[in-house]
Amino acid sequence: MRSKLFFLLALLLFAICTLYACTATHSMIRKHPESLEGITLCTECHSGSLGAMNHRATDFYKKHGIYSGISAQACVICHQESFCSDCHSRKEGNKPSAKFFTDAPERTLPHRGDYLSQHRIDGRINPVLCAKCHGRQNNQGCTSCHR
Amino acid sequence: MAGDNSATKYSLSGELDTTFRMRTTIDKKTLLPIYEYARLDLTNNLSHGAVASFYLGAWGRADLADKSGNNFTDGDLQYAYLSYRAALNNTIINLGRQFVTEGVATERVDGFYLRSDFAAGFGSSVFAGAPVISEPDFKGGKVLYGTRISQTNKKDYTLGLSVLKSERANKSIYREEEGLDVWLHPMEQVDLSGRSTYNSLTEGWMEHAYVLSVSPLEKIRLSVDVSQINYHDYFFNMTTTALSFINRPIDPNEKLFAGGVTISYLPIKNLTISTDYKSYNYEIAKNADYFGGKASYTVPQSFAVGFGAHRMDGRIARLRYTEYRGYVSKVVGHASVALDVTNVGYDAAINGVKNSFAVNGSTGYELNEKLKIGASMEYLQSPDFDNEVRGLVNATYIFDTKRVKGGGKNEK
Repeated sequence: MRSKLFFLLALLLFAICTLYACTATHSMIRKHPESLEGITLCTECHSGSLGAMNHRATDFYKKHGIYSGISAQACVICHQESFCSDCHSRKEGNKPSAKFFTDAPERTLPHRGDYLSQHRIDGRINPVLCAKCHGRQNNQGCTSCHR
Repeated sequence: MAGDNSATKYSLSGELDTTFRMRTTIDKKTLLPIYEYARLDLTNNLSHGAVASFYLGAWGRADLADKSGNNFTDGDLQYAYLSYRAALNNTIINLGRQFVTEGVATERVDGFYLRSDFAAGFGSSVFAGAPVISEPDFKGGKVLYGTRISQTNKKDYTLGLSVLKSERANKSIYREEEGLDVWLHPMEQVDLSGRSTYNSLTEGWMEHAYVLSVSPLEKIRLSVDVSQINYHDYFFNMTTTALSFINRPIDPNEKLFAGGVTISYLPIKNLTISTDYKSYNYEIAKNADYFGGKASYTVPQSFAVGFGAHRMDGRIARLRYTEYRGYVSKVVGHASVALDVTNVGYDAAINGVKNSFAVNGSTGYELNEKLKIGASMEYLQSPDFDNEVRGLVNATYIFDTKRVKGGGKNEK
């Protein structure tokens, strides 16, 4: 049994090494060659998978989680890791937000306005939207009321 | 946004962000917390185009008046990891605390992450570590690991299969999820992306969520999104009690099917006009529709103005409201100002109040290339507050030091 498992592992390792050796794709560039400002119109220069990530598209916010799960290495061409963590691992409130008001009020931000009242409605309409950020982390604020 | 460091051997960049917040809570506590956010990126450009980096992000808080959390001080290490990126095959090796987004996984872990492209468009990633949970009193699993295998043609499609598993300290399974992710781009005008996730512990689909975008004309974009969520499978073992639905108006066995459409029109480069409709259909609760439109004109780093109006039309009174939002921002030289107004009118009063109003005024000034200061003030009238004022003062210091090949130093 052990020898069979070892053989399968060796075969898998050989297949991976062969596939890797046959690959000669260049890695994505690490930094975007031009400095970009504001919400970017990617289709000005790109088509295909990079053009599809056009940040000006009205549905980009809905799709950004999918894109990051498919090709996170494309995100880091332009964004620092802190750009994600500013929302996804923040434990204190973001109202008012230095990031989303002064610099770019046109950005999508789920907690605008009077969110204490609104969260009761949003949570009932689609609690998945809360769970994406607060389901297993960033929920210290939730527990102050939801004990 | 990042700049080009390709001509340098070493680069060190970072950001220190100090924010002083002011507000009074619903139980009359005065909160004056001061926050310090720090970001540090250290990069070494190796031979043959490979790059070794260290990334760090952390924050700390001190309360100058009443406690804003469980303690007067708090802090967290958001990420801190070593990263190696090879010149070929998008090979990446990360080690440390990091945010992993791979198919079904969107997790912060203390551990490792490894990915690479292989021949014939195949790619694979694997990660493992201890899940990073911000609530230490909740047991969020002892070990978390997963993998994703994908097949891609960069111009046309990517298909991915992913697995995520988490175990408790006693080796029992805490989470076991599988996912299928899809990106299809058969022609320039059509884009489909989405994912389906399955919970092996409850033996049910957690979520199907897909967005189809079609641009029949250069200036028109049609976006259709559909999602189906099974609450029992999706919220299984969530740590926050708010999503356990015990003694809540939401049934824990609810099933939601939501479908929506957005049509946007760009008559000129910086102007976007859109209208949208979304229908929420529940198996147990009563349904709701959300519809409206918005218009925005944006010239990056110069001027932005926008207005939107939406109506939530639910079958119960609590889910019926009309919301309006307008904003304007302007950059003049090194200064920027912004005004943002939101108003929500409820059909049925909440706490005897039928309206919620928020206005936010912000200003910023770039003292030099490295230092920027800003202030923001928000005024609210809501069902919870007759009058509420929140404010912040913020200073951001950005540094970027580069050491070029041959030993010279370039600092900006």
